Amino acid sequence: MDVIKRKKELVQEFSPMLEKSTKTSKVWIAFLVGVILVGLVAFVIQVVKGHIVTGMRDNVVWGIYIINFIFFVCLSYSGAFISGILHFFKTPWKNSVSRIVEIITVLSLIIGPIFILLCIGRLDRLYYLFLYPRIQSPITWDIIAIMTDLLGCFIYLYLTFIPDFAMLRDNSENAPKWRQKLYKTLAIKYYDTPTQRETLHKITRTMSVMVIALAIVAYSVLAWIFSLTLQPGWNSSIFAPYFIIAGLYSGVSVIIIAMYLIRKFYHLDHYIRKVHFMGAGVILLIISLLFGYFTFSEYFSRWFSHKIEDVKLLDTLFNRYFWNFIFANYIGVLVPVVILFFKKFRTIKSVTFAAVIAILGLYMNRYLIVVPTLESPYMPIQDTRPEYIQYTATWIEWALSFAGIAAFILFFILIMKLVPIIPMSGIIDHEREQKRKPHLSNNH
Amino acid sequence: MRTKIYTLIFVALAFLINTKSFAQEVNLKNYRVRFGLSTTKQADNSRKLEVSYIASNKKDRKDRVPIYGADINFYNVTEDKDILLGTAKTDKEGTAQLIVPAKQAYTANAEGYINLKAVFDGTDALDSEEDELAIKDVFLELNLKEIDSVKTVILNAYTLDSLQTKIPIDETEIVFSIGGMISNMPIKREFVSDGAFKFEFPEHISGDKNGNVDVFASIIDNDNYGNVIQKKNIDWGINKQITHETNKLWSEAAPIWMYVVLSILLIGVWANYAYSIKNLFDIKKEGKELELKSQNEN
Repeated sequence: MDVIKRKKELVQEFSPMLEKSTKTSKVWIAFLVGVILVGLVAFVIQVVKGHIVTGMRDNVVWGIYIINFIFFVCLSYSGAFISGILHFFKTPWKNSVSRIVEIITVLSLIIGPIFILLCIGRLDRLYYLFLYPRIQSPITWDIIAIMTDLLGCFIYLYLTFIPDFAMLRDNSENAPKWRQKLYKTLAIKYYDTPTQRETLHKITRTMSVMVIALAIVAYSVLAWIFSLTLQPGWNSSIFAPYFIIAGLYSGVSVIIIAMYLIRKFYHLDHYIRKVHFMGAGVILLIISLLFGYFTFSEYFSRWFSHKIEDVKLLDTLFNRYFWNFIFANYIGVLVPVVILFFKKFRTIKSVTFAAVIAILGLYMNRYLIVVPTLESPYMPIQDTRPEYIQYTATWIEWALSFAGIAAFILFFILIMKLVPIIPMSGIIDHEREQKRKPHLSNNH
Repeated sequence: MRTKIYTLIFVALAFLINTKSFAQEVNLKNYRVRFGLSTTKQADNSRKLEVSYIASNKKDRKDRVPIYGADINFYNVTEDKDILLGTAKTDKEGTAQLIVPAKQAYTANAEGYINLKAVFDGTDALDSEEDELAIKDVFLELNLKEIDSVKTVILNAYTLDSLQTKIPIDETEIVFSIGGMISNMPIKREFVSDGAFKFEFPEHISGDKNGNVDVFASIIDNDNYGNVIQKKNIDWGINKQITHETNKLWSEAAPIWMYVVLSILLIGVWANYAYSIKNLFDIKKEGKELELKSQNEN
């Protein structure tokens, strides 16, 4: 196999994806920028007028911002976890999804913490967290975990990008100069020599283990922010593994949706095939069963213990939040399980549909973890105006939430303009491996 | 409710100053005036005379209006005349207090009762009020001794007759308590017979930083003696030193194990980052060498 020739072919194959923009993609990008701009306006209003413009009050001090934070950060941790597993165990079909997972990991870890900043009433005192940290505080652990994880994910993502940057550097003669310069800088003089390749593989593999461990630690720390309090609905010993499973549930679902959209809009049917969806579907099935099991255990033990505060919380969930509860914990779990359990139901579209339901259900599950608990405080407050007790998100919060989602999608698209979504180096590696061991399937 | 009380206090004050406005503002017929005298003999043998002067709504018991600023005269009533002991004004709570010093000589009747009287002379708006009570002057001798290493509280309670002979009191309930920051903590409640009682001081009573405790012996609201309090201070309390704990979850510095675990985790992870970055530099270095070699060959 002429590797140099093959690399050139691959760059040529993926170049249109990097360089050309269709009319639809331009409209789509303009729409996303519009959503982000609305979010920026909402942000300015919130900064000028304060948190009074949000639905957060004395009791419910965390609203959908924290739910977005948990959602994105869990997405990132699950991305890191899955990516680490794919790399470490050299999963046969990792090449088709690994980059999607890695980009999801880093982007969600950048966007997630922004939402926690939106929750802070006195942002001007943010630096106090660094000046006067309390090592005993789970909030401090979370800050350390997120920062460490963010850097780790950046390094890991970069390591997996280097061979592709090198291929693009060597084969982008017709690309704009800024792009050539960028590839040259980012490729850090990687020429795919055996020593360089071996070194890179070694550190990528080590980092893949590291990000798995980091994801588990960071997941647990995030769960402890809730479970180490005595609040009804939060004080639970299974919250850390529950968060891990819930995160994986959302992670796998977002990967499936991303795979579907990328396959459809970039015509990558050759690389992202039905077998990948079926594999991801089975994983989603296993995780949805685990998630359902944890959810049942969580609520069942609260119901059975019959503690006054837990009973009050369950009353709230089964009355005021009845349909939300049904959607989050029944539809959000059972629909994906039914779709994915029967082989004949498993098609690309149905697996994607199951993933969408799972995501929506999980988001609602997060909402039900945060808001009803805060609406049921141990100490009743004197002022019992409904808006002080009950939480409803305002347009400011929704605008900023959608801006976060829009930013996530926009940056995803922009990164796909920088490097191919299917790692070219992975294809080369796979073909090399095939040549060495011809019995290996073509299941990349 | 509190606002209402203060409003009424203000109105009541206004009555005292401007009686003409009274009838227009409040109908006093709806209120029942309570005027009560009580007395407490204090540990230093001084006597506190206290009047509570409060108007209560006949229909709403919670609606109570303390009479503020009323002049109350306190008398020792004798067969011949009333001896003025002093005067005090009622405060915002409708209470007037007069502390009569220990050296005050009271005139008692033939049965040994001291008759005390509190009088409000009245204004155009408020009727005059008075209340009387008769009490015997009782003496509580509180002794705190260690008898055979047992901390013992000994009480002798008696009155004096006209010849200054001690007459032990009988069948009177005495409450023993320990002084506290908010209220006293009772440790014994007993009816004395022959004017004497003793008991073992309980262990594990916390004292102040030096282990001192205030031991009280009290007669409370007795028909014959009123309120009587005696107090002694002694170092029988536990001198529990407040130690500032370090390296606990709630202290300023975290538990040691937490620092150790966090350091190991962070050092492990960041060392790995450093190792990865170092390897990236190695890759770059090799690439540079390759470039140089290729340039030299060309």
